[in-house]
Amino acid sequence: MLSLLAASVALTTAGGQSTADARLKRLFPTATTFSPKGGDPPHIKAFNGETLLGYAFWTTELSPLERGYGGPIVILLGMDTKGILTGLVVIEHHEPYGDFSIEPPAFAAQFKGKDVRDPFKLGEDIDAVSRATITMSSAVRTIRASARRMARSYLTPPSASPSK
Amino acid sequence: MTTVRRRRFLIVLGLAAAIASAAGTLSATGSTQATSNVGQKPAFVLAQAPAPKEEGKWNFDEEEEAAPTWADDIRAQALDITLVAAFSALAFVSFFRKSVRLHYVSLVASVVYLGFYKSQLISIVNVFGLMGGNLPIFRYNLGWYLLAAITAISTVLWGRVYCGRICAFGAFTQLVDAIVPKRWRVNIPRAIERRASWIKYGILASVVAYFLITKDPLIYPYVEPFWMFGLHLRTPVLLTLLGTLLITTVFVRNAYCRFLCPLGAFLGIVSNLTVFRIKRWSECSTCRICEKTCEWGAIQGPRIVMTECVRCDDCERLYADTKKCPHHLILIRKADILARRAAQQ
Repeated sequence: MLSLLAASVALTTAGGQSTADARLKRLFPTATTFSPKGGDPPHIKAFNGETLLGYAFWTTELSPLERGYGGPIVILLGMDTKGILTGLVVIEHHEPYGDFSIEPPAFAAQFKGKDVRDPFKLGEDIDAVSRATITMSSAVRTIRASARRMARSYLTPPSASPSK
Repeated sequence: MTTVRRRRFLIVLGLAAAIASAAGTLSATGSTQATSNVGQKPAFVLAQAPAPKEEGKWNFDEEEEAAPTWADDIRAQALDITLVAAFSALAFVSFFRKSVRLHYVSLVASVVYLGFYKSQLISIVNVFGLMGGNLPIFRYNLGWYLLAAITAISTVLWGRVYCGRICAFGAFTQLVDAIVPKRWRVNIPRAIERRASWIKYGILASVVAYFLITKDPLIYPYVEPFWMFGLHLRTPVLLTLLGTLLITTVFVRNAYCRFLCPLGAFLGIVSNLTVFRIKRWSECSTCRICEKTCEWGAIQGPRIVMTECVRCDDCERLYADTKKCPHHLILIRKADILARRAAQQ
């Protein structure tokens, strides 16, 4: 566990571009090129040829005040141009109870294909993990807030308002 | 005496100031993300005035709901807050009433509720949080803050009440001790016990140093068995450590709490402040009843070592016992003699 975390930290700092690209590829498997990071709020654009597939962005940059047990949880989020999440990668965290809550693939999996207008409520449309409530609720809040902020800034809202 | 008192007052004052400033930053960050970083465009303000549902708008909840949702947040956590409050009330009623039966009730409640149900004990991880300035957001974790506040305040007022009443692992080992036959118990000589009680400070210093250097809190399962209530970490090393500790606990009462617990060491340091101390009689300088009774090795001659004391009430019940405590026996005999003299005259 320790070595895994150390390894991931080492990769983010030293391994550089290749890991970053691999992660972006996981969010947008069909993408051919990625833009450099830029904009406000900061993000990376994913393209397939000339077509814009969506945006990748870091939760810590979009909702900088959110934090869990051990500080901010760094998550790379992917969202397509219609506001559907394409996936997420948990990049770095210092959550003591993170190894059985936000690290398992099942956590990331349940966000794939979610609409940015979904409620994102722990225990409702996101599975709660007992004994890791602080970590889980922080992660879900940061994903929700970041995705919504991204959508508000860059996406065109759908023409028909949701039937809520 | 006055200098000691003044120093203690200053420390309490300092603590209060620290808590107040921490609360200030917490409530600042706890408020909605609307107060985003300075210099960012205000275009992403979440808690806006209610926007009517319009075509071509996202219509997120935040834009629909006008009022700040403190009430909603509290309502969502109401059950958790109530349970924490009810459990703490039970623990402190048992403490103030000095009732043996209620003490055991609160120990069982601690294991069942705080251990297996909630599984969120105060932990060395929270000490790391204090050191690194990383605490959970106040607004969303009211139950946790209630428990943490009760722990901090009760430690300053009475000492390590948390260790003796609230901590689920401490409660578990005390219950084990009550169940295991007395003849199995290995009584550690006092001299060794006193030295061994320093180990936990070494562990505290080491893990805090480790954390400050590596910023990695994942050392916690190696120095704390609290994860046993969830058993979510099943590596061979950790299971072996836990097994060894549990077997040791059967023979050496409260071994973990007395000798190893880094959180207990931290609370022990804080408990030097203890405001309401256990009463001692002048007879305590010669009498050894309480010293022998104390299961925590916290009495050394006339002195109670606050850092080791978990306020289990055993000695306080003895002080109140007019048939056992020499203080009362001497008073009663004096009264007898005086009465006889008066009768003779």
